[in-house]
Parts: sequence; structure tokens; C-alpha cells
Amino acid sequence: MDVGLNSGQLALRDSVRDVLRTECPPTIARQAITDPQRWRTVWKTVVDLGWTELAVPSADSSFGRMELLVVLEECGATIAPIPLLSSVGLAAGVLRVAGAAVDDVLAEIGGGAVAALAVHPPGHRLPAVPMTLADGRVRGRAVAVPGLPRADLIVTLAASADGPVAAVVRVGDGVTVHDAECTDPAQPIADVEIDAEPVVIAPVDLDSAFATPLVAAAADLVGVAGAALARSVAYAKSRQQFGKPIGAFQGIKHALADNYVALERARGLTYAAAARLDDAATPPAAGWNAAALAKAAAGEAAVGCARTAVQVHGALAQTWEHDMHLYLRHAWQGASTLGDSRALYHAVGRRFAGGAA
Amino acid sequence: MNDLLAEYGSWLTDFLPNDYYERYSEYRWDIGLRRDHQRAAFEAGWLQPTWPREHGGRSLGLAEAMEIRLEAAMRSAPKLPNVAGPGVAAPGIRQFGTPEQIDRLLVPLLRGDEWWALGMSEPEAGSDFAGLRTRAVRDGDTFRVKGTKIWTTQAHLSRWCTLYARTDPDAPKHRGISCLILDLESPGVTIEPIRMASISDETFCEVILDDVEIPVENLLGPCNGGWQVAMSSLNHERQMIWIMNWVEIQRGLNSVRESTAHHDDDAAGEVFAELGSLLADAEALRATGYRALNNELSGRPSPESGILKLLGSLTLQRVWELDAAAAGPRSIDDADLLFERQDALAATIYGGTSEIQRNIIAERLLGLPKG
Repeated sequence: MDVGLNSGQLALRDSVRDVLRTECPPTIARQAITDPQRWRTVWKTVVDLGWTELAVPSADSSFGRMELLVVLEECGATIAPIPLLSSVGLAAGVLRVAGAAVDDVLAEIGGGAVAALAVHPPGHRLPAVPMTLADGRVRGRAVAVPGLPRADLIVTLAASADGPVAAVVRVGDGVTVHDAECTDPAQPIADVEIDAEPVVIAPVDLDSAFATPLVAAAADLVGVAGAALARSVAYAKSRQQFGKPIGAFQGIKHALADNYVALERARGLTYAAAARLDDAATPPAAGWNAAALAKAAAGEAAVGCARTAVQVHGALAQTWEHDMHLYLRHAWQGASTLGDSRALYHAVGRRFAGGAA
Repeated sequence: MNDLLAEYGSWLTDFLPNDYYERYSEYRWDIGLRRDHQRAAFEAGWLQPTWPREHGGRSLGLAEAMEIRLEAAMRSAPKLPNVAGPGVAAPGIRQFGTPEQIDRLLVPLLRGDEWWALGMSEPEAGSDFAGLRTRAVRDGDTFRVKGTKIWTTQAHLSRWCTLYARTDPDAPKHRGISCLILDLESPGVTIEPIRMASISDETFCEVILDDVEIPVENLLGPCNGGWQVAMSSLNHERQMIWIMNWVEIQRGLNSVRESTAHHDDDAAGEVFAELGSLLADAEALRATGYRALNNELSGRPSPESGILKLLGSLTLQRVWELDAAAAGPRSIDDADLLFERQDALAATIYGGTSEIQRNIIAERLLGLPKG
């Protein structure tokens, strides 16, 4: 089994990291909280660099799912306040398994149109099918749609007489967006009510449809976890108390070692899930399980590393000017979209116990 | 690769008794079968797949060897009766031994004819291995050794011991230790087995060394270079230990699945979230093992391998605790489960405790200062 990054992917990671270091340090996320248009200049750069083209699976897989994950992890590490995850990772992620009917929509997303994925029916912890399709119209409600306030297109799932379909709806007539207060205003979410004619529909297998969004969300959260841990380590080396760096105390050391285990556990699961999804022989249920475990682990790692980082930084991290609340907001919000960690673990455990996987 | 796995698989099938899986809970204690398996694996070249034929291998690459080991573990191949020999002492002898030492010692070790003990821990030196006090004083062509070793697994059944002793009391503690190959039949050696808390075929012993003479030619590696011999020998086993953990975790997960099938009460679904989390741990071990291997094969550093021991041992304990929860009061009269729960407790201690593993991660991988 080939798990991990090859030299081309490592080079991509380094170049993405370099771009983000200058174009989008974490302070841009702080600005995006108070300036709702702040994301647009970063987004233009990202579109110009061709990162949104990762929405379209390339025929020779040289620019494939693994490359998408590499870019999303780096964007998570710098909490870039752009809709790359929500549009290219989540919305286009569902469309990857929807066949040729959605090619035009994928091309539009690849060109920089912003799409959002609406898959949380009210009252559900796990992603599901929030809409119905009847008489040529998509109808229903979805909550906590990541990136919706910035979106041109909505990708959703609808129950139809012929089974579940992916449906694409254009934001406009028949689409009511209810902006919501959110934990991470740099990545705004909203609820939506839809009663509209879809641009396109295509039948999908639900396990396959959710697999790429789950693993994409995992990559973003792995990035958050890694960056939060790196901040903790740097601070623990420099901050002195009792005449030595606080990182010399086992109370700090062991907390950060446990963060490292959580981080690499999540990263390994994310890479392994990508490898499984790239293997055509993987059954959809096994692909979903792998992606769900990656998302669950990454949510735990991101929240765990960010919370530990707040603790390690002490009073400093309680302030607006310190970056750590931005990381924790991003971690909390990301961890509870597309299924929180406990709900995902529970679902995979139940499938395993029932012999379904 | 597939041909090789198929060849190994059919070799194992031919070796195992027909009712091996039905009666695994008995066969796992069958030392005779396990001895026969080791000898047959040595002769067929499956014992240490990366080593040359004369040392029980086939000169395979790391990736192929890992697949063979995974297959062996997944099929519950009989465990080595004396892991310390092929797993720890043998790599040390191969790396540091003189041609005479290799010639005399390696084949009987690998065939399982002579067992080995690891003379490392002492009453006052556990995690602080480098603080050991056993003294070896050069006297002409011999070292004269005095001291006490403890928790020395299977010493009472072993012929040889890799004995770590202080040869330079004036040097910094890591630099004054040597590794001596001790013949446990030497005069002055007293071995006292220690009764274990659980059923076990890995009995601890106390080994008392009262003015024992060890010939100078039994020095393994350089004089005062024992720290490197120890670290390098243990490292060989550490890289593979996740495979054993992983397979035992799979066995535990399957056992949880069987228990939950019989549930009919309000707590039936209670185990699912923890079960999912443990499935993630198991998959993360495998993914990390492969990631580390791919990095090593590409000549890149593989820091992620630093989580394998800690995560594998902790997961192993959690899975058997969940299994007990899933079994409810039926866990009480289950002798196999009692053994698994007790046996798993050792995993976070041997080969470096979890606390030491966290220090290693913090200091060597994250770069935090030593305390």
C-alpha cells in the first residue's frame, strides 16, 4: 500500500506553503472576520495559480485527489479564509462521483466559481440527504452549509423516486439563504431553504458521494492541528519559567507528545483514505469508512492541538491579537461539519459490529 | 510480490496442524509447536526475511519483508517461543559480532536451539537503563562481573545472555557501558524465576552475578560501546512491534464484534463510538507503518514512526478493556480475556515505557529541551 507523499507532492506542498506564507498569513483570517470582502483578493490569487482546477479530476491523475489534500492541508495550516475546502473539496468532491452530467459544473468550479455543499438536514449529526426531488424541483432545508454566504452554486443531495441524486442549484430565485452567527466568521456558514429547478442532477451512491468531502475536510483539519502544535512547540521552547523553558517540564512535553500522536494518526488515516479512494477495487462502504475515520481523527487532532496550544500559551491566547483563537474557531467549526468525531466513530463502529464493513 | 506471498502462505498452511484455528487458544501455548515452527521458518528463509539464506532469510527488501510479516501476523502464525533471541539479540550479533561470535552463536539462536535473555534491567535501573550498576572489571583475558539483573525474561530457559555492565565507572554514564555475551552456565551465575501475576510463558527471572568470569573475546561491540549496541538491537524490534500490536488489536476488535452480536439490552450501542475510535487507531498504525517504510525506502526521514510504539501499546490495552465491557459480566469467567488484559499491560512498559516514549517524541521529534 502506497501511503504518503511522493516527491512531486512534496514539491507541491512546499510551493503552496511558500505562496501562503506571503499571501495569506493567519492574520488575514483575523481581518476576514471584520471585513466580509477580505477573502476576495486571496481567492483571486488562488484561482490565478490554478488551485481551483483541483476540482476537476485529471485524466492522468497527476493532479488528483492526493494533490487536492496537500493543498487543503496547507490552507488549513494558515487558516486561509477562502472557500477552497467548501467549494473544491466538499461541493466538487461530491460531484466527482456523479458522472459526465456534471462536467460543466465541475469546470465552472475549476474556473473559480464558488460552490457550497448542503448536506446537513436539520437535527442530524451526520451528513445525509436533506432535499427531495419531485416534479423537476429540488425542495428542502439544510443547515450549517460551509461557505454558503460566498457561493454562486449549491451542491446538495436529494431523494428521488429513483434513489438519491446529487443536484446543483444556482443561488438566486427559489434559494433562501439564512446567514448565521458562526464560530469562525472567517469561514462563514449559513442555513438554506431551496425550492428551485436544478441546473443538473445525477444519481450517486451515498457512501461514494461523501467519501471525498470527508477526506478533504480531514486534510484541512490536519493542517490546523499541525500548525497549532508547531506554535505550541515554538512557544514552549522560548517561554521561561522557574529558570528554564517550559518545554523542559514533562507536564508540557507529554501533552505535546500526545498532540503529535493525534496529528500523525490523523495524517496517516487521511493519506491512507486517499490511497483507498484512488484504488478502483475499494468497495464504496470501505471507502466511506476510511474517509469517515480520517475526518473523525482529524477533528479530534485539530481541536485537541488547538486547545492544548491555548493552554500552553496561557493568558496570551485569551487575547484577540493572538492567533490561537482563530485556529481554535476554525478547528471547532470544521470538527462539527460533515459529522463530529464521536458521531463518525459511532457510525463506523456500528457498521463494523453489524458486519456491514 | 504476490507470488512470494502465495509461496509463504502455502508454506504456512502446510506447516500448521489442520485444526490450528479451531484450537488456537490451546496451540498458542504449545511450545513444541512454536519451536518446530521457528526451526522450519529458519530453514525455509521466512524467519528474518531481509537476511541472507544462511541466517534464516531470503535477502528480501524491506517492503517485501513487511508484507511477509503482516501475512504471518494476520494468519496468527505461531509466536517465537523466545522473542529476545531472533528479535533483539540476533540483530545485535549480526551488526556488532566478530566473525567467530557470528559463527558460533547465530545459527543455534535462529534455529531456536539456544535461547537468549536480555541482561538489561536492574533493581535500580529500569527506564534509567544507562544508570546500571553491574560492574565488569578487566582481569587479564577475562572480565570479572558482579551485580544483579532483574525482570530478565526466560533467563532460566536460556543458554546465553547479552549482559550490559559498567566497564568504565569514570566515564559519563552512557559511555561507560559494555555488552558482554554471558554463558548462563558459568560458575557464579544464580537464576531465580519470579512468579508472574498472570499465566505466562515469558517468565521473569532475577540473575545474580557473583564474581562471574567472562572471556574478553565475548565482548559484543566496542568496549564502552554498549549503549549503541543496546539501542541498535532494540530498534530492530521496535520497527516491527506495531505489526504484532496491530494483529492483536484486530483479534480484539473481532472479539468485540462477536460480543455485541449477543446484546439485547439498553447498553447495546454503547460500545460503538469507542469501537470506531479503536478501528481508527488500528488503521492509523498500519498507515503509519507504511508511511514510515515508504519514507525510508525513498531515503527521507520518517519521524512519524515515533508514534508506533506508544499508539500500538495503548490501543492494545483499550481494545481488551472494551472487549471486557462488551462482554459484560461474561468477561469474568473468560480466562482467555483475563490473559489478554494482563498481557496487554506489559506493552506500555517493555521496550521503553509510554512515559519514556513521550519524552523521546518531545525531545527528539519536536525538539523540546531535556528536563
